[in-house]
Order: sequence, then structure tokens, then C-alpha cells
Amino acid sequence: MNPLRVAAVVRRIVAQFRRDPRSLALLYIAPIAIIALLGWVLSSSQTTTAHVAVVNESATPAGSVIATRLQSVLDGQPDIVLDRSVSDDSTARQMLKDKKLDLVVVLPSDFTAQNRKIELLTLGLNATGEASVIPTVQKALLSAVADTAGAVLPTLERSTVYGSPNATTLDSLAPVVVGFFLYFFVFILTGISFLRERIGGTLERLLATPVSRAEIVLGYSLGFGFFATIQVALVLAFVIGRLDVPALGPIPAFGIGLGVHTIGNPLIAYLLVLMLGLGAVSLGIFISTFARTEFQILQFIPIVIVPQGLLGGFFWPIEQLPSLLQPVARILPVTYAIDGLRQVMIAGADLTSPNVLLDLGVLVGIAAVFVALAAATIRREVA
Amino acid sequence: MAVSPTPPAAAAPASAPTPGAAVEAVQLRKDFGPIHAVDGIDMSLPPGSIYGLLGPNGSGKTTLIRLLTGLASATSGTARVLGVAMPSRTNLARIGYMTQSDGIYPELSVWENLTFFAALYGQTDKVDLLRTLELVELDKRTGTPALQLSGGMRRRLSMACALAHHPQVIFLDEPTVGVDPALRVQFWDHFHRLAAGGATLVVSSHVMDEADRCDQLLFIRDGRVLAQGTPAELRQRAGTDNLETAFLSFATQIAGSPAAFAGAAPKETAR
Repeated sequence: MNPLRVAAVVRRIVAQFRRDPRSLALLYIAPIAIIALLGWVLSSSQTTTAHVAVVNESATPAGSVIATRLQSVLDGQPDIVLDRSVSDDSTARQMLKDKKLDLVVVLPSDFTAQNRKIELLTLGLNATGEASVIPTVQKALLSAVADTAGAVLPTLERSTVYGSPNATTLDSLAPVVVGFFLYFFVFILTGISFLRERIGGTLERLLATPVSRAEIVLGYSLGFGFFATIQVALVLAFVIGRLDVPALGPIPAFGIGLGVHTIGNPLIAYLLVLMLGLGAVSLGIFISTFARTEFQILQFIPIVIVPQGLLGGFFWPIEQLPSLLQPVARILPVTYAIDGLRQVMIAGADLTSPNVLLDLGVLVGIAAVFVALAAATIRREVA
Repeated sequence: MAVSPTPPAAAAPASAPTPGAAVEAVQLRKDFGPIHAVDGIDMSLPPGSIYGLLGPNGSGKTTLIRLLTGLASATSGTARVLGVAMPSRTNLARIGYMTQSDGIYPELSVWENLTFFAALYGQTDKVDLLRTLELVELDKRTGTPALQLSGGMRRRLSMACALAHHPQVIFLDEPTVGVDPALRVQFWDHFHRLAAGGATLVVSSHVMDEADRCDQLLFIRDGRVLAQGTPAELRQRAGTDNLETAFLSFATQIAGSPAAFAGAAPKETAR
């Protein structure tokens, strides 16, 4: 290992990117734009008003008492608009189809004081969106039913060990996107850069010099590590920080950055992301062996990147995956980066935490495997 | 202890290096599937001369050079440069290789390309590097990205990158393609200066008009050496004063000889 040769490779990669501003923009502006969009979507989707109607099909006195109480409780809810004009099931269904109602509470014809079955009717086109109204209605139902029984309901209050119980989706997604974007962009950029070395004849030229394969892989890792460091710093700053710009003339006040609350040590978060990125550099070099054109590198996105996004804990916890997919998720580097980043940024864990050490250890191991694979395949002969 | 007879056809892998040979091949063979790209070449080239590898496209010149530089691994046989069996990474420090494709980074400037490759050989003497650029007449273009150079200029930059570390053995794969005639003359003058200084140059070409500038020629066809000698010797042996005719004459002689049919199967050409 000759440090001068490694330094030469690093300098060359930095010089190449300096002359390629578009790729730099992809590396720096694209993740921030996507995270900003994500933050915007997630923060504004929380204030929706639901149009709700109560339909009483039962002829029993219990039914009408509960229907009346339910209506009065629902009427007081901030995010709910109660439509009192609907009185029968078929009108309600038509209004759901016409998007004039979001949810209908139906007390069916067999509703009695003993058989308290109540139906919640929605359209069924967008399960997740429709379900967001249900907790409010359930609460209203509980208090309406409790009032008739004359009982006092316990009040429930939620608290969490880490973070805040009022944490938004954005707060738990923020650490994750940092790691995921780094992986994605570093993989694409190294894959294409190294493919260009292969097809442009420069790899042949490199291998005719005394530079070793390990020196090439290390030079690439450090060169891309340089840009990845800046990317992670920018993305982390954007996610954690918030700069409020006051209104100026016709421009309304706006904020830059998401201001997500984190309590962890950013340096440990960076260490995790760096190990993830190191693996991505070598994976890019390795994958370039199996591609002949840039377009073929892009074909690896659905194979290499998308499964990591779906299974890595980005959207669903690993434990909730089908049992066959869980082992797959446990060999993906992004899984460990996401877990580690959540531990550090939300739970404030540091390097004394066995969970963080395990995540870091696995990431180092995976990076080592990819480095070895990359170095082994560099000299693959073109037949 | 019984002495087991060695089959005469078997290649001897542990043959001793020929003393004084700068470039040596012993029964060197490279197969790509059914194709014999290099088909058992023996050669021994003393230092201080320019050797021309002449042959049509696909005759195996580039594969031979890749075997000699250790970029390709031989199916059998031995390649040695300066007495060291290839591939040898440390030996590459004494070897220069100008590939057929330019092998330079289009985004990088002339100077960045040159300093990068030179640094890999441990050559960081800026004054000396500038002299190399003067030789290929690119010293006024140090800041130009390689992408903006003409084809001939890129060829010159590629050559500068191969010569910058003053190698003792230099492989040049079609170095003068796209280079204008005046500069071509300068290149050959420089090649002769390098050879006079003790360097060994192996230059491949498929154009015969450059062949006369070489000290020795090797006619290559179908992965085999048809003939070797000075240009004058080869003309005389073929009874012609045209090297092209000489080449064809050697090619038909070999093809018509019974030995050539011993290999039986018709052969495809490989690069």
C-alpha cells in the first residue's frame, strides 16, 4: 500500500467531480430537495377535516339515545364536520361515492342495548387515508356509549421512553432518509464512474501502472468519502437545523430546514453513515463488472436499491415483515444503518450502547466484504 | 529413481530467462474459448532497439502486448520483461504502455492526466513532466480538458502518459494513429533517441509504411510470428522491395507449408 498512489487516485476523483457540476448537484441538491418535499407533505397532511354522518337504522330507544349523544360529541370535534341531514343508509352510501362524506357511523337495524354492534362505513379506495379519521370517531363513540351507561371513563395518556409521544412521521423518518440517500447516490455515482474506467480504457491503463487493486478501491473510497462527507453534513444540517427567514416585502416568511428534534451525537451518526457509504462505493465498483453501459448500471436500481428501501426499516419495522423476508432484510446494510441512526438520533444512544456497536460492526463487516469483492473483480478480463 | 521422459511438446514452464533479453516470450499462448489469439509465440528481444509488431487487424498484436505487460494472463507459456516473469506489479514501474484506446480521463486537463499517471509511477518532477509535454507539443495546452483535444492531440497525451516515468521497456500499441505526418517524424526520432539510450521499444502497427523505421520487424498473423528480421533482411528473403508483398509472401509460405496444416482446424481471428 503506497499512500502517494492512493492520494493520486483521490486527487483525480476530486478533480473529475469538480469539472462535473451536474453530478455534484445530483449529490447535494437532489437529496435536500426530496427531503424538503417529504417534510412538506408529511407536515401539512395532518390538518384534514373529515365529513361524518351518523345514520340510525335501529328502531330501539337505545339506538336513538346513542345516535343523539354521538352526534353531539362529534359536533364538538375540531377536525370533524358533522352532516345531520343524512338519515338512511343508501343516501349515506351515495354521498360517500360523491365524496360528500368521508365516514358514516351506522347503527344497524338489529342494534339494541344488548347487541351494540356499530358499523364504520368508508369508501374503501384509500385505506390509509380513510383510517386516519377512525381514532377520533372511536373516541367519540366511547364517550357516547359511556355516558349512557353512566360510567366514568379512564383517560388515556400516551408517553414514550425516547423522543416525544407527539413525534411526527417526519421525526422518525428523518434519520432514515439521511442514510438511504447517501447509499443511493454513492452507489450510482461510483457504479457509473467505474464503468467509465472500464469502457473508456483508463482501467486498462491504470492496471498497467504499479498501482494495486487495493489502492484503487481505497482511493475511490476516500475520494467519494470526501464528497459523501459534505453531502451528509448538508443533509443532516437541513434535517436538524431550521432557519426562519422573516417576511420581506412581497416575499412571505419561510423556513429553511426541517428542524427535526434529535438528541443524538451527530458524529456517531456520521460514523454509521460513513461505513454505509464505504460499502456503497465498493458495491458500485463490484456491480460495474456486470454492466456494459451506463443504462445497465441504472438497471441495478430495482435490484440493489429498491429492496433496501422497502425492507430496510424505512417504512415498516423489520419485525412486521413476512417471516421469509426478515432474513433478507437482516443482510441489507441499509437495515443496520437505519436502526443505528434511529438509536443515535432519537434515543440518544452512543458508542457504549450494544445496539449501536452491533449496527456499526455489521456495517464494517458488510463494507469489508464489498471491498474484497470489488478488489477481486477489478482485474476481470474482458474476453 | 526412474527418469520419466519429458514429452517434447510440453511447454517448459520453468525455463531460465535468456540473459540480456529485454522482452522474452517462451511458448506463449492465449486462448479465448476456441480462438487462439496468441498461438505459442517464442521471441527474445535484446535491449536498445525498436521492434515493430506488424500484422493485420485481429492478428494478435494487442493480446501479445497485454500478455507481455501482464494485463492478460497466459493460457500457457511464459512472458518476461527485463528478466522478470509477468505479471509482476513492481516490474510495471520499469514498463511504459500506450494503449490502443487513449486511456485518458476526458474531464481532466492535459496536466491533470499527465501528473496523475506519472504519480502512480512515483514520478513527480514537474520540470521533467513539462519536458515530456514539450516533446508531444502539448506544453501550451496544459489546462485544456482532454475532451476538447483533437484525436491526434489525445494520442499525443496518451503517449506522454506512457513515457513520463522514463521506462526501460515501452509498449506502444498503434501510437501514431491520427497523428499528423510532421509530428509522426518527430515521434520516430524520439523513439530512436530512447533506443539509443538503452530503452527497448515494441511498437505495433498495421501500416507498413512505418515499418522501415523499426530496427527489427516481427510479422504477426493468426497469433504466430511469421518472420523476424530487419526490414532489409525480410525484403531480401521474400525477394521483393515492398514490405507489404513480403508480408503476403511469408503468409502464403506458412499457410502452404505442411506444418501449418498440422493445427488442422480453420482459425478465426481475434484481436
